[in-house]
Amino acid sequence: MDYSFKEKSIIASLGVTLLIFGWYLYGAFSNLSLNPELPGFVEVIILIVWVAVLEILIQGILAKRNKSQLEDERDRLIVKTSYRYGYWFLSACIWFLMIQILLDAWFDHLPVLTTPNAMFHLLLLFFVLAEVTNFITQLYYYRKGI
Amino acid sequence: MSQQTLADKVGVTRQTIFAIEKDKYSPSLEVAFKISNVFKAPLEEVFNYE
Repeated sequence: MDYSFKEKSIIASLGVTLLIFGWYLYGAFSNLSLNPELPGFVEVIILIVWVAVLEILIQGILAKRNKSQLEDERDRLIVKTSYRYGYWFLSACIWFLMIQILLDAWFDHLPVLTTPNAMFHLLLLFFVLAEVTNFITQLYYYRKGI
Repeated sequence: MSQQTLADKVGVTRQTIFAIEKDKYSPSLEVAFKISNVFKAPLEEVFNYE
């Protein structure tokens, strides 16, 4: 299958996001009950630096191997539409979290994920999933048309 | 005329020209006029609405 530079770039970003955040969140949710406190600040900064470094490396390699392209109106329309889907997804997740907090306040000892650590990682998970939604929607529109 | 030549003249990417040809993208009026100008033909001769 023939992929354009833009598609390769999106696939690379999607791969880096899934790999780094997936690995981190898997570990975090596996040990959620063991550590109810907030994660270390340095841990999160290292995670973000990892993503940034990998993104720069991969995008740099892609730009060297492929003829880089200017962004035109179709690219901008695809990005705009995809961000809208990402926003809707994130809004739905935030509503879900707000309902969790309310349920936790109304009913004591309800098994909901409202410890500081769980809340932090749930929010991080929702941001990552919103970004993944954005990337997948962009890929869909580049393939199927908009 | 190649897709790349047309894309360069219009100021869009080759993929966008390909998408327009394959009916996967409806260009803006500005791009549509630029394409018809390149072919020196009226808009309705280059594009048709179904």
